[in-house]
Amino acid sequence: MMSKIAVYKYGFLGLLVIAIISALYLGAYDFSDSVPGILSTYFQTQEHSSDSYVLIELRIPRILMAIFTGAGLAICGTSLQGLFKNPLASPDLIGITSGAVLFAAVTIVLGSAFMHHLPPFFRYALLSIMAFIGSLLTMIFVYRMATTNGKTNILILLLSGVAITALTGAVTGFLTYLSTEEELRNLTFWSLGSLAGANWWKVCIVGIFVTIGSLILLKKGKTLNALMLGEKEAAHLGFDIEKNKRQIIVIVAFMVGSIVAFNGTIAFIGLVIPYILRFIFKSNYNILLPLSMILGAVVLLIADTISRIIVSPAELPIGILTALMGAPVFISILINYKRKM
Amino acid sequence: MKKYITVLAVAVALMACNKKETTNTTTDVVENQKEQNQKMVSLNGAVTETLAALGATDQIVGVDVTSTYPEDLKSKTTDLGHVRSITAESILSLKPTVVFATSKDINPTLNEQLKKAGVELVVIDQEYSVDGTKKLITEVANQLNKQDYQPLIHNIDNQLKAVKPFEKKPKVLFIYARGAGNLMVAGKETPLHNMIELAGAENAAATLTDFKPLTPEALLTNNPDVILMFDSGLQSLGGAEGLLKVEGIAATNAAKNNKIITMDGQLLSGFGPRLGEAVVELNTKLNK
Repeated sequence: MMSKIAVYKYGFLGLLVIAIISALYLGAYDFSDSVPGILSTYFQTQEHSSDSYVLIELRIPRILMAIFTGAGLAICGTSLQGLFKNPLASPDLIGITSGAVLFAAVTIVLGSAFMHHLPPFFRYALLSIMAFIGSLLTMIFVYRMATTNGKTNILILLLSGVAITALTGAVTGFLTYLSTEEELRNLTFWSLGSLAGANWWKVCIVGIFVTIGSLILLKKGKTLNALMLGEKEAAHLGFDIEKNKRQIIVIVAFMVGSIVAFNGTIAFIGLVIPYILRFIFKSNYNILLPLSMILGAVVLLIADTISRIIVSPAELPIGILTALMGAPVFISILINYKRKM
Repeated sequence: MKKYITVLAVAVALMACNKKETTNTTTDVVENQKEQNQKMVSLNGAVTETLAALGATDQIVGVDVTSTYPEDLKSKTTDLGHVRSITAESILSLKPTVVFATSKDINPTLNEQLKKAGVELVVIDQEYSVDGTKKLITEVANQLNKQDYQPLIHNIDNQLKAVKPFEKKPKVLFIYARGAGNLMVAGKETPLHNMIELAGAENAAATLTDFKPLTPEALLTNNPDVILMFDSGLQSLGGAEGLLKVEGIAATNAAKNNKIITMDGQLLSGFGPRLGEAVVELNTKLNK
C-alpha cells in the first residue's frame, strides 16, 4: 500500500511523461518519420532536415522550457506563500514578475546598441541578471512595505504588487514608443507570456537558474513549516529565521527573473498550483515544495501544447490559457474555502 | 526522488549546452527542375502579387494576411495570419522550399530559425517608391529565374503617364482605422505618404513621421481637403457617417466638401506590380 504522497507523486510524474510525449508529437508540423527515427537520422548525419529541425530546435527546447518554467514558478509561489504566511502571495500578484519585466525591457532598449555583439550566452545571461535585479528590488520593496514586526499585511502586500505592476506597464508602454526594438513592439509578449522563443541557450540558462534555486528551496520545507507557528516560535525551535527569509527572497527573485526575461509574464501558475496541493495535503511544506514543482511542470506543459495547437497554424499567448485554467480553479477553491469558514 | 529529478534536469541542461552547432548544407538542384518543384511561402502582399504576376501562383503554398490579391489565392493556399505572429513551425509545416519576406516584416528570431531549418529565405528590402517596386519585381523574378519580367515594369511606367497634375495640390490626410477607438494618421516615411505624392497631391500630415494617433487639434492644424482611407477602415467606423462622428472630423474642409475617398488597402499601400494602377485610381478619385 503506497502512501498518499507517493501515489500523487508518481501520478503527477506519469502525467508529465504523457504530456511530454504528446507535446513532442502535437503541433502544426507533421513529421514524416517517428521521433526516435528522426533523432537517430540526425545523430548519424549531423545535418538538419526540416523534421529534425522542428523536433530538436523548436519542440524539445520548448518542452524543456515549459517544464523548467512551470516547476520554477510553482515552487516560487509555494515558497512565497510560506514566507508571507498567506495563500494569496504569488510572484505575479505581488509584482515580482512586473519588476523583472521592467528591467528586462529597459535592458533590451538601452542595450540594443551593444547587445548584438555579445555571444548569445552572455546576451541571455545579461538579460537574466538584469531581470533578477528587477525582481529582487521589487521583492525587497514589497517585503519592507508589507511586513512590520514579522507580521505581513496581505492588503499592503497585494496593493504594492498593483502599484509595481502599474508602474511597469507605464514604463514598458513608453519604451515601445521610444524604440523600434522588435521584441518590445510586441507588448503582449510581456503581458501574456510566450514560450515560443525558446532555444537551447535560453533553456540552459533558465534550467541552471531553476535547478540551483530549487535545490535550495526544497530544503526549506522544515523552516516554512516552523514559520507557520510564528517567527518567535520558529526561532525558539532553533531556526535562523532572518537568514532563511533572506535566502528565500533572493532565490525567488533569481528564478523569477530568469524565467520572466525569456518568457514574459505567465500568470496564475505560482498561485494555483500550491493552492490545489494545499487542498490535498494541508500546509506541509515538505510535501508541497517538491510536488508543486512536478505539478507546475505538468500544467504549464499541457497549457503550452494547447496554445500551440488550438488555433494552428497561429498560436495563442500562453498567459491567456494559464489564466483560463487558473482562474476557475482559483474561484472554486475560494468557494470551498468560504464554506469551511 | 527529489534528487533524481534535479540531477536529471541538470544532466539534460548540460547535455543541451554541449550540443554542437550544426551547419546546413543545401543540396544543389538542377535549375530548371527547381522551378517545377518549388513550394513557396510569401509573407508580404506585394511579393505575393509579384509571384502571381510572374505566373508562379500554383507554387504558392502559404501566404500572410496582407496577401489579398489575386482574390482567389486565399482559397488555394494556407493563410498563416499576421506576419508578426507567424511561427517557424507553422511555416515549416507547409514544407516550403523557399520563403519570401521583406526585411521590415520578418522578426530576427524567425529569420534565424528558418535559415537554420535549411529553408531558403529571400529577404527583400522593400522601398515604397516606383524604383523600389521595380527593384522588388526584378529581385523576385531573378529568384524564379524568370527573364520576362520587363512587361510588368513597363506597365507601371505606362500607367503612371495617365496621372493628371493638379493646379493646386489638394492636402490629403490618410486615416488608418481599426474601429473608432484606434485612429492613426500617416506621416512621412509611410507608404501612404509616398502614394499621395505620386498621385500629385500633398500629405496633410507631412509634419509627422510614421503613423501617429489622430488628435482633433492636429487634424484642424493640418486641415485636409481630402480624407483618404482603406475600404476596410471606413467600414470599421460604420461608413462615412461614423467617420463624421469622430471628434474634429466634421469641421475639416474634407468633410464640408464631402471629399472622403477610400481604396482597397493592399492596392493603395502595397507598392506591388499594381502600383501604376493604384496611383492612377487615387489621382482620378482626387480629381473628381
